[in-house]
Amino acid sequence: MFAAPFDYARPKTLDEALSLLSKHGDEARLLAGGHSLIPAMKLRLAQPRLVVDIGRLDGLRQIEARDGRLAIGAMVTHAEIAASRTLADLCPLLVEVASAIGDLQVRNKGTIGGSLVHADPAGDWPAAILALDAEIEIAGPQGRRTVTAGAFFTGILETAVKPGEILCEIRVTAAAASAYVKTEQKASGFALCGVAAVVDATARRVRVGITGVAPVPYRAAAVERALEGQALAEGSLAAAAGQAAAGVTPLADIHASADYRAHLARVNTARALQRAASR
Amino acid sequence: MKLTGTYRLAAPPARVFAALVDPDVLQRCIEGAERLVRTADDQYDVHLRLGIGTVKGAYVGTVRLTDQQPPDRFTLHVEGKGAPGFVRGSARIQLTAAGAGTVAICDADGQVGGVVSAVGSRLLDATARMLMDRFFERLGAEVR
Ligand SMILES: Cc1cc2nc3c(=O)[nH]c(=O)nc-3n(C[C@H](O)[C@H](O)[C@H](O)COP(=O)(O)OP(=O)(O)OC[C@H]3O[C@@H](n4cnc5c(N)ncnc54)[C@H](O)[C@@H]3O)c2cc1C
Repeated sequence: MFAAPFDYARPKTLDEALSLLSKHGDEARLLAGGHSLIPAMKLRLAQPRLVVDIGRLDGLRQIEARDGRLAIGAMVTHAEIAASRTLADLCPLLVEVASAIGDLQVRNKGTIGGSLVHADPAGDWPAAILALDAEIEIAGPQGRRTVTAGAFFTGILETAVKPGEILCEIRVTAAAASAYVKTEQKASGFALCGVAAVVDATARRVRVGITGVAPVPYRAAAVERALEGQALAEGSLAAAAGQAAAGVTPLADIHASADYRAHLARVNTARALQRAASR
Repeated sequence: MKLTGTYRLAAPPARVFAALVDPDVLQRCIEGAERLVRTADDQYDVHLRLGIGTVKGAYVGTVRLTDQQPPDRFTLHVEGKGAPGFVRGSARIQLTAAGAGTVAICDADGQVGGVVSAVGSRLLDATARMLMDRFFERLGAEVR
């Protein structure tokens, strides 16, 4: 399988990359880790005329703690997140999720920004990004804008990032009590159901992000509401988790029926909440 | 691949029917439809550009309307071919008055072939449903 012919550019600055995108419009595609884009090109599902490699752009590869918040550049790989001391200390959920992605080769090349923009409904990052209520910074021809996680995922393989824009940074608040529980599709490693939970015992509040179950990843709003202001005891967590698939039309395919996915959502939510609460 | 959907629209069946057989409205409601060119009575060439994530495709296809029984029902046939594969499908649309509005029941049956079907099977059903939901969402806004 060979890709159709294409031109290749490797800009050094974000502005250069943005102007290449505005000049070539529809014909240009950004290349991050290439683990979704290259297979699609080899199968000729994607046939960009110009591939814009953003691997050498300055300022997209850092993990930084600033003002009590954490900023992760779009080009940081899954493996770099899995190995980050800063994140292990301040936001272990990101480390746990990164370690659950694919295999080592995928983690070494794939990036958090590429995953988020690709927006596979079975990708792992969306669960964490939702549970952490992250902010996502996007650069475009008109400057920068910030989108919240809740408004980021708009459809299957669709996000708030518009053509011509580049996702730059993901920002989250430090959170210690968290957990990710994933049931994976054995062959690909993608999530049949992945649940990320963040628990704030003092404020008596939880946030739950679920991927793999619905066409678009979602916050389990009914679970969060049921636990608002409650003491986070094992019984109440388990009861609330029963609503993890409330109001959702689950995906169904050869790997898992809709009922099975809804079941996994409930079970994994109960486990993620209990594990997070014990941390 | 079979899909069924039920949608509520805030206009009586006659209005909804008229909108559904109007090529301008169809063009605005079909995701990715850039142009609809009339080739015969109730038949159009449609230029589609579907931009679903990494898997983007430009398709050229035909849209045909048959079995028209205004204002109750008709069948919409779509056929398209492009670099990533082909799509062929038909949708029976049944309109029933409900209060001041309409309940539309859409029964679709489609086939997808080529690379898209081999690779994208995990996401095909869900994508088709998303496109159908958006079609009726936009139609709802058109007739309101
Ligand atoms: C065998 C295999 C197993 C996998 N298993 C898993 C798994 O278990 N869990 C999981 O979550 N994922 C899994 N993946 C997907 C993997 O995480 C990919 O790396 C990821 O989906 C895409 O990231 P990327 O950096 O490779 O992006 P690319 O493939 O380079 O790009 C993907 C898309 O995003 C666009 N893009 C990239 N970066 C930006 C940016 N900064 N701004 C705007 N647009 C951008 C590109 O133009 C392209 O359309 C797997 C992949 C493979 C091949």
